[in-house]
Amino acid sequence: MLVSNFLIEVTYLKDRVVISPTTRQEGHAELVMEVDDEGIVTKGMYFSITPVRGLEKMVLNKAPETAPVLCQRICGVCPIPHTLASAEAMDMALGIEIPKAGKLLRKAVAAAHGINSAAIHHFLVAPDVVPEDKFATAVDSVSAVRKVVQYVVDMCAGEGIHPSDIRVGGMARNITPATKERLIERMTAFRPQLEEHVEFIKNCVAEAGLPADLGVVNQPLLATDATYGTNEFDMDIFSEVLPEAWYDDPEIGKRGCSVIPLLNGENVETGPRARMEKFAGFKDKGVVAQHVARANEMLKNYDACMEALDAIDPSAPANVSYDKRGTGELGFGVIEGPRGTDVHMAKVVEGKTQFYSAIVPTTWNIPTMGPATEGFHHEFGPHVIRAYDPCLSCATHVMVVDDEDKSILKNEMVRI
Amino acid sequence: MPLGTYKEAVSARSTDKKILDVSQDGGIVSALLCYALDEGIIEGAVVAGTPDEDWRPIPTVVTSSDEVIAAAGTKYSMSPTLSVLKEATRQYGLEKLGVVATPCQTQGLRKAQAYPFTRFVVDKIKLIVGIYCMENFPMASLDTFATAKLGFDSLQDASKMDIGKGKFWLTKDGEDSGLAIKETHGYEQAGCNICQDYVAEWADVSTGSVGSPDGWSTVLTRTDDGSNIFKAAVSAGLIETKPMDEVKPGLPLLEKLAKGKKDKNTAERERRAKMGVKIPTIY
Repeated sequence: MLVSNFLIEVTYLKDRVVISPTTRQEGHAELVMEVDDEGIVTKGMYFSITPVRGLEKMVLNKAPETAPVLCQRICGVCPIPHTLASAEAMDMALGIEIPKAGKLLRKAVAAAHGINSAAIHHFLVAPDVVPEDKFATAVDSVSAVRKVVQYVVDMCAGEGIHPSDIRVGGMARNITPATKERLIERMTAFRPQLEEHVEFIKNCVAEAGLPADLGVVNQPLLATDATYGTNEFDMDIFSEVLPEAWYDDPEIGKRGCSVIPLLNGENVETGPRARMEKFAGFKDKGVVAQHVARANEMLKNYDACMEALDAIDPSAPANVSYDKRGTGELGFGVIEGPRGTDVHMAKVVEGKTQFYSAIVPTTWNIPTMGPATEGFHHEFGPHVIRAYDPCLSCATHVMVVDDEDKSILKNEMVRI
Repeated sequence: MPLGTYKEAVSARSTDKKILDVSQDGGIVSALLCYALDEGIIEGAVVAGTPDEDWRPIPTVVTSSDEVIAAAGTKYSMSPTLSVLKEATRQYGLEKLGVVATPCQTQGLRKAQAYPFTRFVVDKIKLIVGIYCMENFPMASLDTFATAKLGFDSLQDASKMDIGKGKFWLTKDGEDSGLAIKETHGYEQAGCNICQDYVAEWADVSTGSVGSPDGWSTVLTRTDDGSNIFKAAVSAGLIETKPMDEVKPGLPLLEKLAKGKKDKNTAERERRAKMGVKIPTIY
């Protein structure tokens, strides 16, 4: 079958179903499911086949301000959390206390983006859950929602995608009183529309006929905050293993491209459901619960955005000047992105970035997503994967080019 | 056509004393912006202000008539006006924007509108008021004129700056000191010497002093939008006009200067091209 420009291989080996790449997600990953005679998944393995994300290396030995500019390019779907995490990590690495107005602008932007990203996900899962006769309605609703919240991001952060005005030390500029008023006015008028969208999606999910226990896992949860994120990260309980050590199948271990991050030696679940369980008493688990939690979280983000906008003092400074030499200590930027907890770490010595690392939400979820397909027919596998809204394009696309004639010798990204 | 495409040419003057008190000539730029702001045709405008009163132009976003009037008057050094368009359409949240631009800036704006390089910025521009411009001086050149050539202690001592009647004028303590324009040659920005546009041919409305008597401005309305706004401001009594053929020196002088700039700078373009220097395309 041909979707977009990619040939998707669905291979039925004796007892294996392999989907490569998995579809309607950002980036490229492979889902390998071992199945029994009835086609029920007995072992699920999901791994990234997006080779290299070079950004953490590119920022080394450069000025600290370079990091948020480059690292926001980790992804075009959720660039806002990456920019925020990068700026927050640098703020901490330089010992900066950003002004209140700067923080509120960041919070408003993060919350508005959270709504936008959830809406994009609704577009991606619409073929799974939205009936054909309501498909156009769903697409229109997604577009309408995105238009309003992206407007908030545009005004506060400069650009809806790859924001130019989230800076180390705060935000480039504060909004004017007239802009504050206009944003609140538009967001207030938008509330009924958003509620309608959330109800529409929840109804669609409820009627999609997905098994109630599909995708239920009982992994520890990773969520630091209900909405924005805290810059606290416990390095003592954190470890990483290479895919070779994680996946039972040595071939998969070799091909897996992302390291496996663990907390207390265990893989975790992160994302809207994890946040809602930890901070809002949401108890359900599994695919349906993930969709419901993501939809409900849109309203939580709406409230967070309005609260931040309302509290902004437009006459206050949005940034501070700072000493860029650096504290030499590791700084953390921990942002609750649409897909989960996004952790950026940075160390700056004598004005140059000496260490940079990003553990992005989907990297946390990768080891959890494969096993989540187990116990159900393999045809439900892609539903389970999409419920996590994985985003694997947090990578640099790499080609090997002949020095002499510039011909492409190797291009693994497009021929998986 | 040395004046580019235009619908109508008239001599005009603001009727508002508040504007005339501070304006360079007829106060047309200020009158048009104030009218467009008050009528809601634009929500704000990007203009060249001098917040520090030191003749250094700083691009400024204005959202009220008072702010327009505070920024009135010609600045003879370059204001990087286009650099604040983004801020005007973002943190200022302006969805209907006016811009006061030199001919070169107008060209940049029109190119930006023609090509899809700027997202949600140039599509917000509703009015470009172009100002006539022969050349533009870096701040260091203006300092040199004031101190080395006119004997001022400092450029800041000047209360008014003007170019007219073949001279560059500085006013200090009510007294005008003039420097022949040919004395200023070589001090202008190098790019000005290959520019072909004197009268902001791509603006919605262009204006400047040349062609009209003292205290009046020559206005060229160019686009439907520009023409409509100008006519409405005239109907509202904010601007008074005289036909160009009833004023001295009239349109022939404007045409002469515009053609003179084209001819002289075409020669300079050819000279530079012969040396192998890359020359920007003319539109």
